[in-house]
Amino acid sequence: MARELRIAVDHDLCMGNGQCVFLAPEVFRHNANRQSEVIDPAGAPEEGVLKAAGFCPTGAISVSDAQTGELLFP
Amino acid sequence: MATLAADPEDLFAPEVIADPYAYFGRLRETDPMHWNPRAEMWIVTRYEDLVWLVRHHELFSSAVIKTDRRPPHPPIDAEDGPLFDRVKEFRSDQLVEHDRPGHLSMRSAVHGYFTPQAMEGWRPFVRAAVAELLDEAAPHGRMDVLEALAAPLPVRVITQMMGVPEEDREHLRHLADRLLYINRGEPNRMKLLMEGIEGMIDYVSPKVDERAATPSDDFISVLASAEKEGVFTRHQVLVNTALLLFAGHETTMNLICNGTLALIRHPDQWERLRADPAGAARTATEECLRYDPPVKSTQRIAAQDVERHGKTIRQGDRIRWIMAAANRDPRAFDDPDRFDIRRKPNPHVSFGAGIHYCLGASLARIEGQEVFRALAERFESLRLETEELEYAPSIQFRSLTALPVAWS
Repeated sequence: MARELRIAVDHDLCMGNGQCVFLAPEVFRHNANRQSEVIDPAGAPEEGVLKAAGFCPTGAISVSDAQTGELLFP
Repeated sequence: MATLAADPEDLFAPEVIADPYAYFGRLRETDPMHWNPRAEMWIVTRYEDLVWLVRHHELFSSAVIKTDRRPPHPPIDAEDGPLFDRVKEFRSDQLVEHDRPGHLSMRSAVHGYFTPQAMEGWRPFVRAAVAELLDEAAPHGRMDVLEALAAPLPVRVITQMMGVPEEDREHLRHLADRLLYINRGEPNRMKLLMEGIEGMIDYVSPKVDERAATPSDDFISVLASAEKEGVFTRHQVLVNTALLLFAGHETTMNLICNGTLALIRHPDQWERLRADPAGAARTATEECLRYDPPVKSTQRIAAQDVERHGKTIRQGDRIRWIMAAANRDPRAFDDPDRFDIRRKPNPHVSFGAGIHYCLGASLARIEGQEVFRALAERFESLRLETEELEYAPSIQFRSLTALPVAWS
């Protein structure tokens, strides 16, 4: 079974350009402030989540293992 | 002799080039989805509409050059028709001229090179290059910011990224200058552009062969390996290397010049930056990007009929969206005409938004931050040597032709 992820979007950095929303729409959406928010950390395979995090042009997304706390990205 | 009345739809009129904020700001408030019959394109100026448009990449295609059958606007020299076709063929292979799914695989192939984390690794190089250029200028007591700093800096960075030797810099800078004629208004622009394109192909071709045989960590190697994997054709490798040079050159030039000008014209903000150059450089760069963006506008072509503001955009219609107007939209920004280097939040659209968001944004930010920081650390005050500033006749770029400044 896939491990559980903790995904955080730093709203001081997020400019809402939406790379993550377009790459993993089951995981991220735009909130009312046009910033990205997590709707379901398990909405896509880990690989897809990490790709979406890596595509963020402001480096606003971090991903870690929910159990161990190990930082997976960045 | 009577002079001709100015055509209010002339996007290349001197007053529109000089002050796009007044012209496009008026449109934003009176007719946010405006059909310009002269340029035969929709002009979109509100922040909300711009965000809506870029988020619907399925409705608005980026394959503008391939799809658009209209003749060049403004007109080009009559004998340059065949050149126009070749320029079209070249430019339509650019990554930015693709839609999904092709765009995603192309962008994925090069994206890793440009992430914020990867670009941070370039900060020391950028900082050193800025210091070196300013050291050269310092004894003179004056400089043309464009010639001394804004133009050479991005060429140094990009040629380093391409992994080309230092002695080739001048040649590449010459080619980059030719590539600036994309989306300009001069009738002879196709000849100049073609010179840049052919020069790039001749220069880069053998380098790609070298890197395919002996890969390195430079950008050409990234593209050469994507060619091996079948993501790019050879033509696309050449075209996209040229794109890197072109896209990273004029845009950065404009960020540096327009930002420096804004700081000079707002002495209170200059003082705020001087009080904490390292701390304020980040938000100052974002505000420079918002206030007087390097790229004023960009273009899409409608993939199907779309309704907006009670108007119908027809499939195949050209749409130009004006970041310079959206960034000053009072619906999106408080006191939008005020230049505030600590503005927060600052969700400007100067790098676009959505799937085509500027690939080089992180690099541009680092270059801007390092320049504004260095200027504030080094100079107590800068003053303009002339008030007669000119901008290149481009619908796309906000490009000063010179920015002479002095200090004491």
